[in-house]
Amino acid sequence: MILIAPEERRWFLRNLALGLFEYLGVAEPPVPVEALLRHPPRILQQDLGVVEMYSNLWDATFARLPDQRGSVFVRIDLPSRERRFALARELLRALVTSEHGRAMGLPEILLPELQECAEYFARQLLAPEALVAAYRKRGGGAAQFAETFDLPAPVAASRWDDASVLN
Amino acid sequence: MSMQALNHLVARSIVDPSVVSAFGAGDLDPMLCDLGFSGELRTSLSGLQASSWAEFAVLAYRAVQAFETPVSRFQLPSPLEGLRRDADNIGREHVA
Repeated sequence: MILIAPEERRWFLRNLALGLFEYLGVAEPPVPVEALLRHPPRILQQDLGVVEMYSNLWDATFARLPDQRGSVFVRIDLPSRERRFALARELLRALVTSEHGRAMGLPEILLPELQECAEYFARQLLAPEALVAAYRKRGGGAAQFAETFDLPAPVAASRWDDASVLN
Repeated sequence: MSMQALNHLVARSIVDPSVVSAFGAGDLDPMLCDLGFSGELRTSLSGLQASSWAEFAVLAYRAVQAFETPVSRFQLPSPLEGLRRDADNIGREHVA
């Protein structure tokens, strides 16, 4: 296995997020991540779904049932912004463990840094480059970013910093 | 342009299994051709040794980046500028 630099891993994750964003075909934020989980691309149909649960232990977690169908189990009482981010973050775990993801070789390059990868992927999926660039072009600033993209404030701040580094 | 094409290919691979199938069959060249990769770059990419599609993507990223990076000789400072900088530094050392 080759050694992969953090920037190379981030580039790869940005493009995975881009592929799913393009599949959704949305032109304006917020990106409907829950719709993606409920109506996934055909190749991921066995791997994605949403199940609401009562829990005080976690916001969301991905798990596979004995029949190998995968779902993100999400706390029913999460506010919208936290829910969207948690679903997007767990989506990467679903991709990594899916048959298609394993065929792509995702576990080998993403598992060593999975938590960091999942959070970066979620930020990129919920605020893709194309939508962030359009938002900036219209004069959008950091103050309204979280609201426009329906992100938790700390996540929005991180994503804004990511975008500043790239632009 | 090539990096955009590579981004597009990697993005497509998460929803379209034909990309990974083509890679596994060693038959990626028609896709690279359709995406507008130059012959030289396609030859370079076809020589990459990767154990998976994801690994290939990262190696391709390096190859495309190297291909698109301008030759560094244009970034060298002029000899005159270099001498002035040295002169400045020597002056500071003396003052210190």
